[in-house]
Amino acid sequence: MRTIQLAAVLMLGSAVLVSGCDRIKQASGGSSATVAETEFPERVLWGDTHLHTSNSVDAFGFGVRLGPEEALRFARGEEVTSSTNLKAKLARPLDFLVITDHSEGLGATKALYDAPRILIRDPQLLRWHDMMHEGPAGSLRATAELLDARANGTMPLGLQNDTGADKRTKSIWLDHLGIVERYNEPGKFTALMGFEYTLMDGGNNLHRNVIFRDGKDLVSTVLPASAAGLVAPDKLWDYMDAYEKSTGGKVLAIPHNSNLSNGLMFMLTDPSGGPMSADYARRRAAHEPVVEVTQIKGDSEAHPFLSPNDEFAGFAVAGWELNNLLSTQPKTSTMFAGEYAREALKRGLAIEQRTGVNPYKFGMIGSTDSHTALSTGDENNFFGKHSGNEPSATRAMSEQNLGTRKGRFGWHYLAGGYAGVWAKANTRAAIFDALMRKEVYATTGPRMTVRVFAGWDFKADDLEGNWVRAGYTRGVPMGGSLAPAKGGKPDLIISALKDPIGANLDRVQVIKGWIDKAGLTHEKVFDVVWSDMDKRRAAGGKVPAVGDTVDLTTATYTNSIGAASLTTVWTDPAFDPAVRSFYYLRVIEIPTPSWPAYDAVRYKLKLTPDVRVKQQERAYTSPIWYTPV
Amino acid sequence: MRSRAAALLREPLVHFLLAGLMVFALLSGRPADPGERRITVDEAVVGRLADRWAQTYHRPPTPEEIDGLIGDYVKSEVYYREALRLGLDRDDEVVMRRMRSKMIATSTSAAEATSPSDAELQALLDRDPLRYALDPHYTLTQIYLGTDDAEARAGAAGLVVRLRQGAAPDGLGRPAPVPTRFSAAPASELASIFGDEFAAALRIAPIGSWTGPIGSGLGLHLVKIDNRTVPAAPRVAEVRQRLENDWRSAAIRHAEDASYRQLLKGYDVVIEQPQ
Repeated sequence: MRTIQLAAVLMLGSAVLVSGCDRIKQASGGSSATVAETEFPERVLWGDTHLHTSNSVDAFGFGVRLGPEEALRFARGEEVTSSTNLKAKLARPLDFLVITDHSEGLGATKALYDAPRILIRDPQLLRWHDMMHEGPAGSLRATAELLDARANGTMPLGLQNDTGADKRTKSIWLDHLGIVERYNEPGKFTALMGFEYTLMDGGNNLHRNVIFRDGKDLVSTVLPASAAGLVAPDKLWDYMDAYEKSTGGKVLAIPHNSNLSNGLMFMLTDPSGGPMSADYARRRAAHEPVVEVTQIKGDSEAHPFLSPNDEFAGFAVAGWELNNLLSTQPKTSTMFAGEYAREALKRGLAIEQRTGVNPYKFGMIGSTDSHTALSTGDENNFFGKHSGNEPSATRAMSEQNLGTRKGRFGWHYLAGGYAGVWAKANTRAAIFDALMRKEVYATTGPRMTVRVFAGWDFKADDLEGNWVRAGYTRGVPMGGSLAPAKGGKPDLIISALKDPIGANLDRVQVIKGWIDKAGLTHEKVFDVVWSDMDKRRAAGGKVPAVGDTVDLTTATYTNSIGAASLTTVWTDPAFDPAVRSFYYLRVIEIPTPSWPAYDAVRYKLKLTPDVRVKQQERAYTSPIWYTPV
Repeated sequence: MRSRAAALLREPLVHFLLAGLMVFALLSGRPADPGERRITVDEAVVGRLADRWAQTYHRPPTPEEIDGLIGDYVKSEVYYREALRLGLDRDDEVVMRRMRSKMIATSTSAAEATSPSDAELQALLDRDPLRYALDPHYTLTQIYLGTDDAEARAGAAGLVVRLRQGAAPDGLGRPAPVPTRFSAAPASELASIFGDEFAAALRIAPIGSWTGPIGSGLGLHLVKIDNRTVPAAPRVAEVRQRLENDWRSAAIRHAEDASYRQLLKGYDVVIEQPQ
């Protein structure tokens, strides 16, 4: 037997064992400097409105140990060490970040993990506790089952109505707000306050991210709302109304993963199945101005079942089109219409025709939904959906079943997306206001700059002058409503620019949706400007494919095809002033390698043939609506 | 081991322990003297209970709800005190962790609340001036010429001549959804729009006359810089927020280390492990 007395050894342990959230407490507020807003939005700001840290029940269970402070430092461009001990840094900083930890059971998983085994009575909790202590794989399975239980309403009482939960929630929430406040630097990097409202009907995803315009002084007067036991969003809207009324502040909500709602996110009826009332439609539109249409768990812009003539529909839907979020219910094709944004925009016109109010008059953004505290949207620097699939040789091909069911694999996750925001300054107020007026767009990761204006008298020679000013003064930007005019057809000024460190552009498309007098909705995709137009002649209404320079042996591509910028003025050739319609842009890049392709090179992997190894990444702008008098 | 644990779980005493555990979770943070036999629910306590309710439900509790809150509070106090009397807090992993994190919070709260002096921030700044270096700012006009190819390069030379002779830049080059004119824009913003290569080229570009073509991640540009401000090493006031964040996170770490070191001195730690 050997006896040692070594202070150094004892000291060593403490730094490793103490988790981030214990160390970090609130402190003095952020900068009070005022930042002037410009007359018009001049540059697009890039951000992530959807990020989880160790304060989220599932993220903690999945293994993340980084908290909000690391998340903020990472987003603003600093290097941090990931939960799996890898150095992580963005190629470029983001301009803003919203950390949206699940409000339900803030810190609850951690409490279960910490509990002494002998005292856990509930056999289910005991099983989860043991699985979490088995190691990362067990922790993943336990968390997946925990999510299932929440969705199915079979959560053991010990976690459901924990008497300590309120207090724990409050303490974590206030600490969180304090950190966000400290890292908010108006004009340079904006940290907004928010949380995720994890609304589910069975395993059907109806989640919303809730984002505040205000600082800690107002937001700390409320606790994040919990969706436990609820299946419809109206209680959330009540909460938002109460916040605005009691504080004079402002708050909005952003639904996401409609693709995993099994048809419930964009219903034609109200949640009970009755006809949607004007009042319900108005509340929905007022509280939820924007939808997150692309993120790690798939893309919800358009599905080939709904848009059979659109050869670009169905961006990376593999894996996600099988079931609902928790794979508790398989998806049938009749559900797609309530899941994809383009169809929802059309449904909105139909409901408006009937009730006078469009519930689905929403703008579009992308965000990551990372559960790693790391907002990574780039294919060549993707840190995974959660800490169980941070970079490793096995992550692309391993099953990701969220529980025990089959069908999803690591490669189904997308590296993306981000939110592009045309704000008048990099401040909470300006970013929030841009979201409210929907002057925002979604990308699947690359940072292409996209502008669109609609008016009645734009001509090609407007492009020779200050067309941005013309756009704002004689037209409306993305997210706007074009007021009827006497005669004429809508002209769109369209300009897209490649990501300065990314791939060239293949084409820009206008997606038009409308409703005819019989009440039937329609859509049409127009190729309006593309690279090498003189050589790539449209035939049979289709522009030929741009080509493909991807080399999978090195995971590289070249910008020898496509265009750096695409600009045009386009006039709707089939405009009918009597029908409701909308227009949005889809900007498509040339093919590039996907993150599994980068992994294959990095780890010398053999991927199965079904794996998505390349893709044409894209941006979707918020629509511009036309409503007849 | 498992069968023994299962048997234990059927014991009434274990059930009692469990209740104690939940009570502890509820009450962690409220010191109470276990020897004291009087439970006083004064106005301050009632006020706190009501406030917490109002924060959750956005309305004050009704008298019945207040009664419920008070009843629950008393119950918690009774259980908590009895649990301490029975020594249920000993050898309990959760209690240990809670106490540990409270001790850490105690040792670091001073650091959290303290505002660093300017001298401390200055010292931090001096240690790593590059980390806090301010961006150069540019007032400039740029004309985008499109992809870097022979045609664009050929056109660029002629355009520079015309511009130097006083031609108006409006309408020259290709339209793109980025500003032509920047006023006191930080280099980081220009790098975000055009790429790092462009921002680096601006550092050495001439002032006051049209120049180019300059390459970027987007292609080629002609540029006229009216003004370039390269800031001197920053003063504390200019980077205070970042300094304070960095200072505070270091101070918290340091305070915890120091306090632990101090506490550790009071112990003889004997570690025995098999050879």
